[in-house]
Amino acid sequence: MAELFVQQLVNWITLGCIYALLAIGFSLIFGVLNVIHFSHGDVAMTSPFIALAAAQALAIAIGVSSPVWLIVAVCIAVFAVGLIGVILDKVVIRRFRDAPAMMALVATVALGIVIRELIRHLYPQGSNPHAFPRLVSGVAFEVAGVQVGWFTVLVILLTLSLVALLFAFLRLTPLGLRIRAASEDRIVARMMGIRDTRVFRATFFVASAIGAIAGLLFASYAGVTRFDFGVMAGLLGFSAAVIGGLGSMPGAILGGLIIAGIEVLAQTFVPDGASYRLVFVFLLVIGVLLFRPEGLLGRPVMVKV
Amino acid sequence: MGARMSSEMPGFGLATVLAVGIQILGAAFLYLILKAEGGWQVIGLLALLAAGFYLIEKRPQITEYVTASFSRVPVVALVTAVIVVVLFPFAVGNNTYVLHLLIVAQLYAVLALALNFQLGSANIPNFATGASYGIGAYVSALLAINFGLSFWLTLPAAAIAATLFGFLIGIPSMRTRDTYLALVTIAFGVVVQQLLNNFDWTGGPNGLVGIPAPSLFGHSFADPLVVFGWKLPSQANFYYLSALLVVVAIITAHRLHSSRIGLAWNALRADEIAARAQGINVAWFKVLAFAVDAFLAAFAGTIYAFYVSYISPDNFTFLVSVTIMTMVIVGGMDNIFGVIVGAFLLTILPEKLRAFSDYRLLFFGIVIIGFLMIRPQGLFPQRIRSYGESR
Repeated sequence: MAELFVQQLVNWITLGCIYALLAIGFSLIFGVLNVIHFSHGDVAMTSPFIALAAAQALAIAIGVSSPVWLIVAVCIAVFAVGLIGVILDKVVIRRFRDAPAMMALVATVALGIVIRELIRHLYPQGSNPHAFPRLVSGVAFEVAGVQVGWFTVLVILLTLSLVALLFAFLRLTPLGLRIRAASEDRIVARMMGIRDTRVFRATFFVASAIGAIAGLLFASYAGVTRFDFGVMAGLLGFSAAVIGGLGSMPGAILGGLIIAGIEVLAQTFVPDGASYRLVFVFLLVIGVLLFRPEGLLGRPVMVKV
Repeated sequence: MGARMSSEMPGFGLATVLAVGIQILGAAFLYLILKAEGGWQVIGLLALLAAGFYLIEKRPQITEYVTASFSRVPVVALVTAVIVVVLFPFAVGNNTYVLHLLIVAQLYAVLALALNFQLGSANIPNFATGASYGIGAYVSALLAINFGLSFWLTLPAAAIAATLFGFLIGIPSMRTRDTYLALVTIAFGVVVQQLLNNFDWTGGPNGLVGIPAPSLFGHSFADPLVVFGWKLPSQANFYYLSALLVVVAIITAHRLHSSRIGLAWNALRADEIAARAQGINVAWFKVLAFAVDAFLAAFAGTIYAFYVSYISPDNFTFLVSVTIMTMVIVGGMDNIFGVIVGAFLLTILPEKLRAFSDYRLLFFGIVIIGFLMIRPQGLFPQRIRSYGESR
């Protein structure tokens, strides 16, 4: 029993961290643009494909196969996905910042279709699942008879440091201050001389790069990547951000942990829970929003006449 | 007022010609695009369509003039519409694929009209229309397969079940709003789809097979339809059935739009707090919008189930709900005609893009994004309510 408990605890934290990283992207973008970037999950899930392609290209170009290339390829992928985010913002998403919320939602769902189809067509045999290696392997330590891999340690450390860096970035740097100002009130921020296009660019780069890391970790955790992983990644990350409270960073992390928690619980304790896990996740989402309509840590929206 | 009317209103003769001619032109265009094969034909017709919309965009008085002539001779316009709809299958003949497309397009038109009550009239997002559609289809199919109920009895049963579901989704809508409400409806949609996918008694991912064809006065809908010696394929039965449903949906939409309910929904859209201050029971009208949506969607679902005689959870995914939503936005919110055009366009377009084989979804996505950027108000934007005069 204790073994099972620890094993599920490890699974929960790993998955929770990945969802939290995805949710942070949703929350950041919503905070600044007031737009739900529904294709964020798809953007994030391009990163495993870019990393695989980059690793192969590097291996061919240099001729020696080495695990170092994977690390380099991962860095390339994170940077590239950040740029993809910036380009998508410039070409599509920014145009919907003043549109009704539903229009932006529909447009970004369509954008998600485009991204998925592009992966499918551009990547060789993109329709098939592709194996994705564990970024790190080996056993770090043992707790109650359960072997905890280095991968889990990596996920936790990476998430903690990314969150710390993001907080430092938002609180301590001038650019972070501008992003916070723009998310507080875009018009007033502009009056204060903050160029909002730069803020959007920075926000999308940071959010997409963090999403890319989440995508890489997710593919590595599943051991495989598919062109349509982005749908579920997006839906779960979005749900995590919303039940945490859109625009709130601690909320996004909390939301990610809750979503992963219910998923792991359903898989462990409910018979046939693996196939019903989404039912439990989304029933929880409905339940949370029924009692906390602004999400758990969201600011209540006051409407003035 | 009188002076304006006389200068802008077309005369009786011209109005008749316009009302008849435009409908026949529209039907001919629909016929051509349905029959079109090969990339260039489709591209040519789409270019023609785009040019038409560009003209309307540049010269809004054209739309006004045409609408005016339609309301000048309502009876003529109506009779022409009925004749066009009734005769269309005869023109199509034995091409079952075209008939199939038309049936699906009509069912989607009903779904889009259903969603229009919420998204268009009251500006309430609903990503669960696909789920209501699925509930309608599954309830009627299960009743028909397990209890041998006839199609005509399952229709109201499915509608009642889906309406209850609509009320259920409506409850959280009293508290949540905007994006949060959108997520609640997405969540309901996913839950329903996942349950259908996992329950044993719904057939799981394999779905339900062998739904019996409905029959009317001894005429089975699986048999070809013979009218005055003309033999139409069996799909024609369902074509007329779904056309009837579209008519019911249009009448419902029109009546609701001109009633106090439609007015209350529009008030909600304009300003919720102001509506509340006017004494409008905001919560009730929101829930009612969900219920009406689910009610109509269930009808469409029932016809769909009996038409294809095979349903699976894949027919009712989140993406189906998004597609319906896109139809409403592309057509023009709160504009009955626009919504129907949107539904037809977005049903036929992906099928015709099959000429581009594997790339059609990509094209579809790009077209939608491009459309939302270029013309966010939809093809036929909502019209300002006119008070006083009945027509």
